[in-house]
Amino acid sequence: MRPRLASFGDFRCAHCHALVSSAHLLSGVNNRNHCPYCLWSCHLDLFAAGDRLSACKAPMKPIGLTMKKSRNKYQRERGGELMLVHECVECRTLSINRIAADDDSETVMAVFTESFALGQQVRSRCQGQGIAILDADQAEAVRAQLYGHILERGLLIGV
Amino acid sequence: MNINDEDDIAVVFRKTLGHYTVRARGRELDCVLSSLIHKQLIFPTADPTSLRRTVREVREIDHVDPVAIGDRVRYVEAGDGRGMIVEVLPRHTKLSRPAPVPGQRVFEQVIVSNADLVLPVFSLANPTPRWGLLDRYLVSAEAADLPSLIVINKLDLAWKNPGFDEEIEIYRRVGYPVLLVSAITGEGVEELKRALQGRQSVLVGKSGVGKTSLLNAIQPGLGLRVKAVGAGEIGKGRHTTTHLEMFALDFGGALVDTPGMREFGLWDVAGEDLAYLFPEMADHVGQCKFGLSCRHDQEPGCAIRKAVMAGTISPYRYQSYMRLREEL
Repeated sequence: MRPRLASFGDFRCAHCHALVSSAHLLSGVNNRNHCPYCLWSCHLDLFAAGDRLSACKAPMKPIGLTMKKSRNKYQRERGGELMLVHECVECRTLSINRIAADDDSETVMAVFTESFALGQQVRSRCQGQGIAILDADQAEAVRAQLYGHILERGLLIGV
Repeated sequence: MNINDEDDIAVVFRKTLGHYTVRARGRELDCVLSSLIHKQLIFPTADPTSLRRTVREVREIDHVDPVAIGDRVRYVEAGDGRGMIVEVLPRHTKLSRPAPVPGQRVFEQVIVSNADLVLPVFSLANPTPRWGLLDRYLVSAEAADLPSLIVINKLDLAWKNPGFDEEIEIYRRVGYPVLLVSAITGEGVEELKRALQGRQSVLVGKSGVGKTSLLNAIQPGLGLRVKAVGAGEIGKGRHTTTHLEMFALDFGGALVDTPGMREFGLWDVAGEDLAYLFPEMADHVGQCKFGLSCRHDQEPGCAIRKAVMAGTISPYRYQSYMRLREEL
């Protein structure tokens, strides 16, 4: 087993061309693997997250959301951790990635709503890899994870 | 003394700061360098046949040390077992790296010259192998047009590195011979001796992998100093061998022992030539629409990336290529 490489550092998003910082302080994750503005990623990992061994390097489109069961008891209570599902536009590889602290929540919601129109072929490929794409009936759970329970209770000023 | 006489040619087999031990006609001489070797004299080109040539310019030679182990040199004998090296004869091979010296200018450090075989030595454990460093050694050897024999030492510690077979297989598939040995149990040592016979070889590797222990196992009479690696999980080696030395082997040939090298940059390798120095990539160079200007990074349809994705090139080797490419 080879050691993983250190993070590649800041980068410019190949999709929306925004400058993205890889600082842990901003993202809260160790391996920044997608743009926090448009949520597109790049196919860099091969065997494990952060190994940077893939030679494909094509853009990866965010196609939906899924819940990953977690060993963290707080996450378990919430039904798991909300994750982004990416699909490589060239080789069609699927991967799930943690949502970073500074990911644009509105864009995450937009990916979620667009995923309702995903074709059966993509869904079954996801299922084949154990990835359950979230449906419209899980919208409340998604909102709760993105915005917390304050919205549900109507405690946020101006809501 | 006539320094053009063939009798005044010797081979440098040991060097320590400012002192070179040469072997000539079965004798050893402690030599210093003539100051002329550090400089290159530039003569006017208008009349090269002139008998009274005047020096137009004196240039410093861009070397940390103009004399390397394995060099054939002309010398002047002082008569008391000492001498002076006055000329370094042309080298047929040289293994170099950029000298790890501070400052803006980068100098060439010739580790060994006139070698026939490079032996990158790694240990299965204590310290754990850094395969990226192996790729550097292999690329340097390819750049010097030298064949390599990968030596994996400490086979007796194989239980500490259960996944080593897969890693070694990557290099065997490329075509590099790999020899598994143990300086402790003697396993593989006879095979190693056969590979070294009649050749001038050089051992390279980081500290603690057992280069000197191997040398002692190959030729027990040498009795060279070795140390155990530091305790702890990483098991980093401690610098035991501090100078370069070439040893004549009883069964024919010579072997150069080097101090551990954690850093090993590439010398005189251009970025666009790098893929040619990975034998499994060489056939794919120039096979995509970007031709020879393809960097094999994000170019669509790159033949090397396609080969990696098809499984014919190891993604680890490709990653090494990309890391080295960034340095050049």
